[in-house]
Formats: sequence, C-alpha cells, structure tokens
Amino acid sequence: MAERSQKEVWRLTPWLMIVLLLGNFMLMAFDAREIGTGQRMIRVWAQTIAHFVQAPVTTVSSAATGYFQSIVNLRNAQDENSMLQQRVQELEVQLKQSEDLEAENERLSSLLQLKEQSTYRVLPAKIIGRDASLWFDSMIINRGSLDGVQLNMPIVTNGGLVGRVTAVSPLTAQIDLITKDKSGLGGVIGQLGTSNALGVVGGSGKKELLEMRYVPGIIEVQVGEKVYTTGQDGIYPAGLRIGDIVEVKSGSATATHQILIQPSAQLHSMQEVGVLLYEPPPRPKFEETLPNAVKDEKKK
Amino acid sequence: MEQVKITVALIIAIMLQWTLRNVAEPLMFVDFPLIIVVYAALQGNAIRALLYGCIAGIAVDALSGGLMGANGFSKTLIAYLVSEMVRRVYLDNLLLRIPVIAGACLIDDLVYYGMHRLLGQEMTVQPVPTIAYTLIGTTIAGTIIYLLLDSFFNERVRVRRSEYFKTRRQTRRRNPIRLGKRTRI
Repeated sequence: MAERSQKEVWRLTPWLMIVLLLGNFMLMAFDAREIGTGQRMIRVWAQTIAHFVQAPVTTVSSAATGYFQSIVNLRNAQDENSMLQQRVQELEVQLKQSEDLEAENERLSSLLQLKEQSTYRVLPAKIIGRDASLWFDSMIINRGSLDGVQLNMPIVTNGGLVGRVTAVSPLTAQIDLITKDKSGLGGVIGQLGTSNALGVVGGSGKKELLEMRYVPGIIEVQVGEKVYTTGQDGIYPAGLRIGDIVEVKSGSATATHQILIQPSAQLHSMQEVGVLLYEPPPRPKFEETLPNAVKDEKKK
Repeated sequence: MEQVKITVALIIAIMLQWTLRNVAEPLMFVDFPLIIVVYAALQGNAIRALLYGCIAGIAVDALSGGLMGANGFSKTLIAYLVSEMVRRVYLDNLLLRIPVIAGACLIDDLVYYGMHRLLGQEMTVQPVPTIAYTLIGTTIAGTIIYLLLDSFFNERVRVRRSEYFKTRRQTRRRNPIRLGKRTRI
C-alpha cells in the first residue's frame, strides 16, 4: 500500500511541478508586464508580516553589531591613540621649535630695536658658551677682535646692562657679568643730572642680585627705583639701565645705605646680546699718571 | 513531526534571508531558503519538497525586489530535480550532499537570472561574481546547516552515529608494582 502511494506520488510530482512552475511563470509575467511599479498585494502583505520580525531582529542585531563594533572601535582607537600620541609628540616638538623661533625672533627684534635706539653702535652677538664651572659668571660670545670687539666694551641687552668684555680672541670674546663679585661700575639712582644718589654697583655674593655701595645715608632711597650707569667709571657709557632696587637697608648721616639691585637684564636666560662699540673718552692727564693707569699701560 | 520541524526551519530561513543582510553584508550570498528546500527534497517526499520550494520562493520574492514568482519558479524546479535525484541515487551522506547543494545553488541562480532576462528585466549586479559568491556561500553554509539539521532532526542519522562511535569499554590497568609482588600461598 505504501509502495503504491509512493508510486502515485512519483506520478503526481511532475504534474504538480508543471502546475507550480506555470503558476510562478504567470506570476512573473504578470509582474513583468507592469514595469512601473512593484506593488503587489502578496508583496505588501508579506512585507507587513515580515516587519514584525524585522523590527526586533534589526534592533537586536544593531545592538549586537554596535557592541562588537564598539570592541573593534576600541581596538582601532588603541592603535589610533598610539599613532596620535606619536603625532602629538611630533607636534609638540614642532611647537617648541616654533616657540623657540618666535622667542628668538622677539629677542633679535628687541636687539635690533636696541641697536636703533642706541646712540652707540651695537654689534649683535650670540652667546655660544657659558662658564664651565659654577663659580664664575663668564660667557663666550661669537664676536671677536675681527668684528671690532675690544677689551672692556660694554655688553647690553634690550633689558639693560649685562657686563663687559674681559678677553678677546679674533673670533670670540669672553664677557664677565655685572653680578661678578669683582666687577664694579658707577651707578646712580634715578636719572643722572637730577639725582645725586651716586654709588658703586658690584656683585653681592648672590648670583641674582647686585649691591650698590657708598650711597650716602642721608639721601632717601625707595625700593623699586631704577639704577643707571653714570658713565664716570671709564668703561660704561652713561644712562644704561642696571636694574631696580629690591631692598634697602637705610643708612644714617654717618653710614651709607646698603642697597640690593635686581638686574634688569635676564642674565641667566639670554641668548643674544649686543656689544656696545663704545670707546670711553680719554682719561685726563692726571689720571694717566696714577699708578693703576701706569699698570694698565704696562699690561698693554 | 518532521514536517513541522522543516516548516519552522523554512520560516526561519526566510526570515534570516531577509534580516541577515542588515547584520552583515556578506551573508546575502547565502541562500538559506534554498538550503532548506534542498534538505526537504533530500528527505524523499517530492510533493512536500515542491510545495516548500514554491512557497519559500514566493515568500522570498515578496520580500525582494525581483519579479514575483521568479524564486518560486527556480526553487520549485530545484525541489523537483533534487527529489528525482534522490529517487535514483543514494544521497544519505554529507559528502554527496555537498555537490548537490552546490549544483542546486548554481541552477537556482542561473534559472533566476535567466527568467529575469527572458522577461526583459535588467539586473543591478554583475551575474558571474554574484553567482560565484552565492555558490561558495551557500555550499559552505549548506554543509554546516545539514550537519546541524541531521543532528537535531534526523533520528536515523543520530542512531547510526551512536552505532559508529560507541563508547569504548574501559579496561582496568593492573598495577605494575603489584605484578612483581610475591604472594604467599
């Protein structure tokens, strides 16, 4: 019985197949006839029913995809992060370089301004070396006797006085800062001519500060006042700014003031300086006969 | 019961066909309904396979932008061809089913494409790469799905497998130290 039914099935199958194929072909032909629209009742119903499955599946699948995507993104972000960190470092270096260039430009501009403002010729120079030991404040500049640099020529920046040339070679020169213990220059509190608070400015034993001595105690001195060169020391011209008074230990009629000055030049961070091509006026005859003047002559 | 299982599998396959493309684009190259239709045809009931093929095809057509009935036509034809093949050739083996699903996929695609060209429809994709990718995707997915379906649905296969891979009898090892031990009689 079962075999017969199986045979019947086999007999029926081709006919059923033909019917189904014909049905499908008619559907296709009907569908192909109307090219303009794909709107069919069966399609509308199928898509409406499928929507109820599609919507939650899409929600779940997008959540799952989003989760895995976030993991992938995290991994990508890690690589991207390291790449960006490297880029940031490169940019930081570039930024530092541009900042340095900007600062250098600013310094050189101020030096140029100084040169233009100064009544003396200013030879721009670059600091190419600093004292190897910590004990002295000497520096080496890239200008020497071939550029016209001579001994004792003042060194300045836009901020103020820096020091003087203490040794000259053809291509370089050594300078001593005004903060050096043994340095000394004539200084005046306030403008020369209007003030009589004269004294000698020299190193204080503290690297950052200068000391002004021999200012009479009867003269009123205020913290914050500016100190300028007098031009009477035979090295520095008059009117160069030395610094500002930061501390005053008042003297009396018989004792002088003890004044500490903050140099106006950035002595420890400067990179360019100017050499004032200044030759002091010849000394009077009687000065030339003094013992130290004779010593100088002998040295020369 | 098996009829219900295959019907459920077919419904799931149609839904997967429609939804999985949203999840991952490469999954569009797997023709899930065709896999189930071929599986149904491989079970030996030709009439049921034809009906499955026709309904699954029309359902896919309804959810796609092609001509209505094109998939129904091709899948009905595939169901018939596979049923006829099963009647003549023994195909109750996974290795033999792989070329069957590959061939079915190829014929299905060619018929589908041919019917559209016959009725003056222009396809939006290149036929050769699409057919090639579908062939690969459907064959691989079909092989895996047949393994799963056999292990879940087919009682015969399950019994046969348990006969093939019987659990080994565990023999007790004798303690080698005790072997050399003298025993008093």
